[in-house]
Amino acid sequence: MDNNTKKEKGRKYLNPYLGGVLLGLVLLAANFVSGRGLGASGAFKSVVVTSINAVDKNAVNDMPFMAEYTESHGTSPMKSWLVFEMLGVLVGGFLSGAVAGRLKLKVEHSPKITSRRRLIFALLGGIFFGFGSQLGRGCTSGSALSGMAVLSLGGFITMMAIFGTAYALAYFFRKNWI
Amino acid sequence: MPWHISSGKTGFNGKEEKMGPLAPNLIISENTNFLLAFFIGIAFGWVLESSGFSSSRKLAGVFYGYDTVVLKVFFTGAVTAMIGLLFMSLFGWIDLSLVYVNPTFLTSAIVGGVIMGAGFIMGGFCPGTSVCGAAIGKIDAMVFVVGIFLGIYGFAFSYPWWEKMYMAKYLGEPKVSTKLGISDGLFGLLLILVAIGMFIVAEWAEKKFPREEY
Amino acid sequence: MKPLKLLALIIIPLGIIIAAVPADRVKHFRLTPDELLQEAGAGMQFISPDVVADMLVQKDPSLRLIDVRTPEEFDAYSMPNAINIPLSNLLADEYTDILNQHTYVNVFYSNGSVYANQAWMITRQLGYDNNFVLEGGLNYWFGNILSPEAPSVTSPDEEFAKYDFRKSAAAALGGGGVVSTEAEAPAIKAVKPPVTARAKKKPAGGC
Repeated sequence: MDNNTKKEKGRKYLNPYLGGVLLGLVLLAANFVSGRGLGASGAFKSVVVTSINAVDKNAVNDMPFMAEYTESHGTSPMKSWLVFEMLGVLVGGFLSGAVAGRLKLKVEHSPKITSRRRLIFALLGGIFFGFGSQLGRGCTSGSALSGMAVLSLGGFITMMAIFGTAYALAYFFRKNWI
Repeated sequence: MPWHISSGKTGFNGKEEKMGPLAPNLIISENTNFLLAFFIGIAFGWVLESSGFSSSRKLAGVFYGYDTVVLKVFFTGAVTAMIGLLFMSLFGWIDLSLVYVNPTFLTSAIVGGVIMGAGFIMGGFCPGTSVCGAAIGKIDAMVFVVGIFLGIYGFAFSYPWWEKMYMAKYLGEPKVSTKLGISDGLFGLLLILVAIGMFIVAEWAEKKFPREEY
Repeated sequence: MKPLKLLALIIIPLGIIIAAVPADRVKHFRLTPDELLQEAGAGMQFISPDVVADMLVQKDPSLRLIDVRTPEEFDAYSMPNAINIPLSNLLADEYTDILNQHTYVNVFYSNGSVYANQAWMITRQLGYDNNFVLEGGLNYWFGNILSPEAPSVTSPDEEFAKYDFRKSAAAALGGGGVVSTEAEAPAIKAVKPPVTARAKKKPAGGC
């Protein structure tokens, strides 16, 4: 790969160890400021609750999972720490991509499969992840990453389950990636 | 109840101690907390995207050996934050008893993790990184986000079937170090050594399973 | 230098340091002598015997009475459900979890209040919360709660209310020398506690 190709592709990615240290500092800041770690799936849940509320105010009461969420969040389920954080993630990701010249509307996929196949699996993956994150009370950011930083047993267990399963199933989905 | 039980360090005359975490110690207001959440989120998104977490092919690479960025960033991040918290507590800058520790519900932690693992290898994203990917225009990331919503709706509507599993085996909020009977600091050191070991293996793997630029 | 080597060089020593530091130092927070003096001067360590009597009658589960006298004195008489931690043994390891916690209201008592006060001083200096001293100690408890004196006719209503309360409490607690004519539950706390700590919200986390 020569220098010309590199320039075309925009700025290179950060060294992963540096990225990790920076990520750790962000996580540290989150804990110092708010007493809780980072997260993601909780924000999605807020949006879901709000949308159900908007369509039918009483539907939430019939769904015990949603009801206990609105109980603890009172007036507005969208006014939660994670929602604000995720809005920030959106902005931060955009800015970083913009600065590095990586903004481009495209479907990223292995050259060996079609876009359509990639999108189908992306949808399936999202469904599984969404479902699993509610059951597991967190995703890789909230449960695994933040959980590990505070030495939570649940966090470690979830992390091992996620990575272990992905490794175990990697062989069956290899055509999609390599 | 005629008496209030203090849940933390209040210092004299009920004055709050000047230590972190800021919001639970009422040093900053809730709204400030939300504002800072936004900025912390920006930093989070920036770091994720800059490290390449907006690319599903990079994320999935750790499972095939050709790109171990996930492993390196993830574990370096967790270890850095962990050490940071322990040192801050040592210097009296933060009160660790007020920091949220994820509760452990054994059954749902494992089952949920397994399902998420499947989602990861299929979709190549997780909720946080999918938002990053969507932010820079990756359509597969956007589709993943849609999938997440569908998955959550599905869970909410079918919740009664899972409720028992969801609530099973609540162990409180144990820390790994407590369960192993060692101090937090010692566990931190062990984790560091394990992580460094994994990084060495990861670098070997990348040399062995190279892929062209993607 | 390879990034991994650099990372390892920095982070492993940090890990060794944090592992070497005893866990106690990593968590503890102690009061300065000034702060301790302020609290003691303001009488913040006291809990009124009327409040304690009420908690006993209501069977408030958060109350934990700690007798700091010798085991012999404890065996001779102790308050309901009290445990015995002799002052000389206060700092033994086995009691740390009892004294350093956020679930119960620990109330030290002794015959007067000298020993109980000493116990409070020591634990407060260590930064422990939720430990208090029974105002007046057992002497006051016997004389005024278990055998309350009837107020004179000219006393204010408050005194009568206090007396009624103490009468019923004494009867409920098996006090000496009082015949209770009513079986009313005591309704008034005569003395307000000096200061209540603002409840700090532990953050709700999760993902």
